[in-house]
Amino acid sequence: MTRTHMICALTLAVMASVFTASTGIAQDTPQPKIHASSIQILMVDSKEVTLPAEFQVALYENLVDEVQKTGKFQHVYRDGDRSATDATDLVVLHSTVHGFKKGSEEKRQVTTVAGATTINIHCQITDKTGKSLLERDVTGKVRFFGGNLRATYDFGKKVAEIIRQSS
Amino acid sequence: MQLCVMRAQEVWIRMTSRAVLFGAVAIVAMFLVHPCMAQQPGTFPGTKQVLGLEGVKHNATGILTVQKGTLEFTSGKKKTDVPASSISDVVTDKDSQRAIGGVVGTISMFGPYGSGRFLSLFRTKIDTVTINYHDTTGALHGAVFTMPTGKAEEVKQDLLAEGAHTTIPTAPDATAPPAAAK
Repeated sequence: MTRTHMICALTLAVMASVFTASTGIAQDTPQPKIHASSIQILMVDSKEVTLPAEFQVALYENLVDEVQKTGKFQHVYRDGDRSATDATDLVVLHSTVHGFKKGSEEKRQVTTVAGATTINIHCQITDKTGKSLLERDVTGKVRFFGGNLRATYDFGKKVAEIIRQSS
Repeated sequence: MQLCVMRAQEVWIRMTSRAVLFGAVAIVAMFLVHPCMAQQPGTFPGTKQVLGLEGVKHNATGILTVQKGTLEFTSGKKKTDVPASSISDVVTDKDSQRAIGGVVGTISMFGPYGSGRFLSLFRTKIDTVTINYHDTTGALHGAVFTMPTGKAEEVKQDLLAEGAHTTIPTAPDATAPPAAAK
């Protein structure tokens, strides 16, 4: 066996072990199950971090869109919806921004490696009484293609995936 | 015979000069009318609805109108209204976008010898307007618009005049004369 073959084999072995380890970690973490027929999505809270208004609105709208697309809830209520008060079996999704780095679309397109936009958000699903059912830190990113607001779409997709897995 | 030919030439020259004159007047009129249409108060053509409005596709381009207490966005046959009084916040911002966008822009990204990257350096400035509004059930909605630079503040002023609210009051006009000192 030549030296090149040995290096290739070693690289493959390392990659396989990393993949196995990451899969194992994902499987070890138990997913709490949420059983509710309706969800209310509150406006993204950005008191800790100064977040531009367009990002706050885009986060909220993408969140509503993506949660609706999951089809896991009969009703998806928005923040302030009066009809949510009558809903039984309701859970509430709270999102708090605790990190925001506005990148640059121009830098991303020119350099490929620089200019990423990142938004770190703490998501919490509670029942009507405020008891926490699920908590996760979710990061919305845009690294290569798309405008800065695409990070908000990424965030919405990730939250929707968490909801899919936990209900 | 010669007289007849000369007469015909004269008529032809007269008709040609009339056509040229008519064309020139039409071109001048077109230039005069176009800015008048663009400056119609409360109308903002070339606005892009990035997201948020019910029933309108993301990134749809159309005409934003602020009139009679309503914000109206028309894109093709789709028309969406938001009562100005239901708007709880209007915020403006500035951004930039690639001068060559859309499908052509995406394809050009893969151009050889870094030509796509080079084209990304050519950018146009845009304004963004973000609104928060409540529907009849009290549910909170948001919408983001982008438009040619310099228009966002005008949209905000028009919306505020029609009954919308804002959390960020407009900065006083720098060109306005200072208030008399007491």
